[in-house]
Amino acid sequence: MSGAPSLVRRAAGALRVSRFEAKIAVALVVSATLPLLGALLLAGKLAEENLALGLDPRVVERLEAVPALYGDLFQARKQLYAEQARALARGLPRDRGRTHAYLESALAKTPRLRRVSLHAADGAVVAEAETQAENPEGEWREAPARVALPGGGRLDCTFAIEARYFAELGEAREVGELVQGVDALRSEIRRSYVRAFALLLVAWAAGAAAIGILLARRTTRRVTRLVGAVRQLASGDLSVQVDPGRANDEVAGLARAFNAMVREVRESRDRIVYLEKISGWQDVARRLAHEIKNPLTPMKLAFQQLEARWKATRVRDPDFGKLLGEAGEIVREEIGTLQRLVDEFSAFAKLPEVRSEPSELGAFVKEFLRTSKQLGAAAELSVVKASGPCPVALDRQLMRRVLTNLCQNAIDAARPARARIHLGIARTRERAVLTVADEGPGIDRDLWDRIFDPYFTTKGVGGTGLGLAIVKKIVLQHGGEIQVGDRPGGGASFTIALPLAPEAQRAA
Amino acid sequence: MRHLLAALGAAAALGAVAAGPPEPLAARVAPRAGRVEASLDLSAAFPAATERDFGNGLTNVVAIYVSVVPDGSRAPAALYGRVVEILFDVWEETYAVTVKDPRAPQGVHYVLPDFAALRRFLSEARGVDLGPVQALPGAPYHLEARVEVNPVSREQLQRTREYIANPAAGTRTSGGTRSVLGAVASFLLREPDPGSDVHLFRSRSFAPGAAASGAGR
Repeated sequence: MSGAPSLVRRAAGALRVSRFEAKIAVALVVSATLPLLGALLLAGKLAEENLALGLDPRVVERLEAVPALYGDLFQARKQLYAEQARALARGLPRDRGRTHAYLESALAKTPRLRRVSLHAADGAVVAEAETQAENPEGEWREAPARVALPGGGRLDCTFAIEARYFAELGEAREVGELVQGVDALRSEIRRSYVRAFALLLVAWAAGAAAIGILLARRTTRRVTRLVGAVRQLASGDLSVQVDPGRANDEVAGLARAFNAMVREVRESRDRIVYLEKISGWQDVARRLAHEIKNPLTPMKLAFQQLEARWKATRVRDPDFGKLLGEAGEIVREEIGTLQRLVDEFSAFAKLPEVRSEPSELGAFVKEFLRTSKQLGAAAELSVVKASGPCPVALDRQLMRRVLTNLCQNAIDAARPARARIHLGIARTRERAVLTVADEGPGIDRDLWDRIFDPYFTTKGVGGTGLGLAIVKKIVLQHGGEIQVGDRPGGGASFTIALPLAPEAQRAA
Repeated sequence: MRHLLAALGAAAALGAVAAGPPEPLAARVAPRAGRVEASLDLSAAFPAATERDFGNGLTNVVAIYVSVVPDGSRAPAALYGRVVEILFDVWEETYAVTVKDPRAPQGVHYVLPDFAALRRFLSEARGVDLGPVQALPGAPYHLEARVEVNPVSREQLQRTREYIANPAAGTRTSGGTRSVLGAVASFLLREPDPGSDVHLFRSRSFAPGAAASGAGR
């Protein structure tokens, strides 16, 4: 039921013209029609002059006179035929027996004479002759001429008159009547041309306006989308992106810059949020380490005193001695575990600030592999460099820790098999990209969002859940990003994107 | 027929507005089969000089509109229209006349031997059907006649529209490319004013019962 109103709203929205669109349309209309307005003023004059040229009164008069000319022609022919008939009548032989021969002869001698008949006073045919020969002037119509004979009787002659004259007459009459009508309508024709010109001008202007609105709308719609996106951004939605479209103009550039800006803001926000979160966890780790570490030494000393007293005792209960020995092992082991935990917590809590120095990422990775013999012993490591130099600013010590943690995770994940770790180095326009991928079981997609959270681990009892958190913090402190994903062909993949050194970005 | 009636109405209205001529129109009204028929003398509209026009070999048109107008009123009570087409046959030297009116919209054809006969035919307008006797006004009325010589006919208007829409076709020299401006102009071409060759007549006043008694002059 809401379809119709929605359709109406959409239609109304499509028809609504913004001020900018209206301005563009008006500009186009003015530029398209302004020169024509002058032409409109001249249109009436032009039409009048053209009509005057085409309908010169002398031409009209002559055309109207054409049928009369044919009338004169017909009159002349009729008079000629009448004269010829009279001449034939005068030459009629007195001997009726020769009449037929005379008429036959007359047919042959008299041009255009087709039939001749002599009638007695009572109307009876005395003699007649008719030619069957083709008329040399083509199709013809009958032109009768009758001569009354002295003493009664008559001579009927039928002459041929060219049929084309009648066709030409009809055509001349048609043209004459047309010209007569056009002449009578001259003023109205001139006005109709002016009206037509004005109508076409209006249509032209409407077309220009429509085109202007369409052209403007292509831009304004994108600007409107940008404005909407900016409002979304202002309301806190950092996921907003604008489609820059296929165009390669300033608006598309603005949309791309907006998208980049939003991405940058989002990444900055995420970085800050994460670092704040990490900072909080570091604080917790520091306190935990302190709280755990403090009782460990008294516990350790107390148990050592207990063991020393037992050793000094002369009367010993063998069962108690065995129990004390077992308990001592457990206590020392658990204290050792707690000590390691405290050490890791302390290390996490005391992560140093990044002290970057210019480095080349590829060279750094090679150096890391060269100096990390224990990793080379535990896993098969390979490096692929897919681009030229990747100058970055690195804290070598911290970044070594990043690579160590990631490689150690890969080794742990591959156990009991020997891990195969692939390191890749590439660069984009603004970033150097380091990829650490393994061929292990990979990481469940559902865990990707939490994998960098402190104290989150998939290793069970042995893991503290701090390795990847430390990795991410160090990467973020380098101004970079880290993402977890699947390695094509199986396994996990960590992608670290670090900003290229400014001079490298400029060169790109 | 609808166009003819529309023309009749327009013409009658125009006639009603126009001032009448100084000489009263010689007219006679008489009943015929329950209807009123008028005979008018329109000779003033067809002087001898019109022979030159009517004998030019082109189709000439005479439109005659007659209305019954109550005295003191301008609204016609009855209307009649007749269109006479005259073509002088330059071969036969006769006048072929076609008369079209509401009773014979397709036209009744006559052949008249000379201009004198044509002039008589045109001047003596007979059989002007003014409608049923009972439809005549109950008050004194008069007849008004309007004679237009060679007004622009609808056929002429249509031919002119086709001509300006497609002027090249008229020359028969090209394939007849249509002109956009001409096509629009032809669409916007309106009927012109009747022109100057218009004659208006007004009869004397008739009493309400005059038609029944065959009054006239």
